[in-house]
Amino acid sequence: MSGSKLFIQQVLALLAKDLKTEWRTREIFTSMFVFAVLVLVVFNFAIGADTELIRQVASGVMWVALLFATVLGLQRAGQMESEEDSLQGVLLALHDRSALFIAKMIAQMLYLLVVVVCILPLCGIWFRIDFLVCIGALWIVFALGMLGLSIVGTLFAMITLHTRAREVMLPMLFLPVSVPLTIAAVYATAQLIAGKSLGDITDYLTLMVIFDIVFFVLTLIVFDYVVED
Amino acid sequence: MRVLGTILIFFMAFPLLFIRRNSIFQKIIIYITMTVAIFFVFIYAPTEKMQGIVQKIFYFHVSSAVTMFFAFFVVFVASIMYLWKSSDWWDAVALSAAEIGVVFCTLVLITGPIWARPIWGTWWSWDPVLTLSLVLWLIYVAYLMLRIDAHDLQRARFAAILGIVGFVDVPLILWSVEKWRTLHPKPVLIQEGGTTGLTSAMVLTFVVCLAAFTLLFFYLLRERVSIVQSQHAIEVLRHEIDEILSG
Repeated sequence: MSGSKLFIQQVLALLAKDLKTEWRTREIFTSMFVFAVLVLVVFNFAIGADTELIRQVASGVMWVALLFATVLGLQRAGQMESEEDSLQGVLLALHDRSALFIAKMIAQMLYLLVVVVCILPLCGIWFRIDFLVCIGALWIVFALGMLGLSIVGTLFAMITLHTRAREVMLPMLFLPVSVPLTIAAVYATAQLIAGKSLGDITDYLTLMVIFDIVFFVLTLIVFDYVVED
Repeated sequence: MRVLGTILIFFMAFPLLFIRRNSIFQKIIIYITMTVAIFFVFIYAPTEKMQGIVQKIFYFHVSSAVTMFFAFFVVFVASIMYLWKSSDWWDAVALSAAEIGVVFCTLVLITGPIWARPIWGTWWSWDPVLTLSLVLWLIYVAYLMLRIDAHDLQRARFAAILGIVGFVDVPLILWSVEKWRTLHPKPVLIQEGGTTGLTSAMVLTFVVCLAAFTLLFFYLLRERVSIVQSQHAIEVLRHEIDEILSG
């Protein structure tokens, strides 16, 4: 069907534009990565004197770092958008506006995945956790988690794009709504680190999958209202 | 079973929304119902054996919680209707219901710890519904902040989206918090908390209290909606005056 082919082409074009811009400046990724590292380091100072304790809270600390990195990345991306005010032009060119949402969501997810790849070795060293043992299952949890965070984050980023206190509103909206995902992700990761297998965390995985699906569908439904004039 | 009953009550109470004006009749009904409810709670209902007189706060706590959920449900429906029909009235209903919902949510978060302290020995226990109330409080306070903050034209629409998203999130939050709760150490009961079974007198008191709170909700809603609509009317008039003066 030419309709869906056009859709995919537009998504890829938007995605390529965002990624190319990012590759040239690497602003978003660096701020996300540096901030996540800072969070990890500060937590280490706060809790790390007790090595057993830091091992137990490692999963939570990692996800807190990722949450804040997501908020930061979304804010930088939003800043770049509103500076140039290029959104109007993009919207006019689009056949189906949800292509914009999907492209932004995929871009955000890719940034997050790269950040995770860079952070995992550091966490392994600082928290003394061997991630390689459970790396396969761990990736599933991370993928589902990043997907959920990207979906919700992109939605609220677009909503708060034109608000006055964007820096405050975005985390205020994003963090409470993604509580289910945070809880499920943190405890799934913690279980995997503690040596459980994928089979043991199926209810967390189910929650994350349902969360992702519900919010993906919901955002697609309301997205036209978000970017309407 | 309880969920089904709650949903049924929500749908039954919903038509009350469409009575748009508060007449003197409403005010009398509210006054009487509230007085009766207070009488029921403090005089008619028997003092629970185990928990003592502190248990009575539960009538207000649970009623506030149910009213809070109902308020957010109204926000959900009003948000959908606003996006669908673009009617100012639905937008006013959504805003008013959100404000009242936040008020009742605050009441839940205050009465909960007051009850918990003598019973569980701790102010806060990360009980699933209490935690849910906390997260909902954050979400709907953000809703109110969004309404103040966003650009005028899009304010209502963005808020409507948040109203929908927030409510859809509720079952997910509840599920995840219950899961999280099973990992959390249970509070040690200083007194034997929990119910020793509700007597029929207590159930009747609950129902009366709940009815009183629901009527109060609708009364406040109508008042607030009429204020919002008056504000809209003033804005329209101001615009017209500006047009005339500048034109």
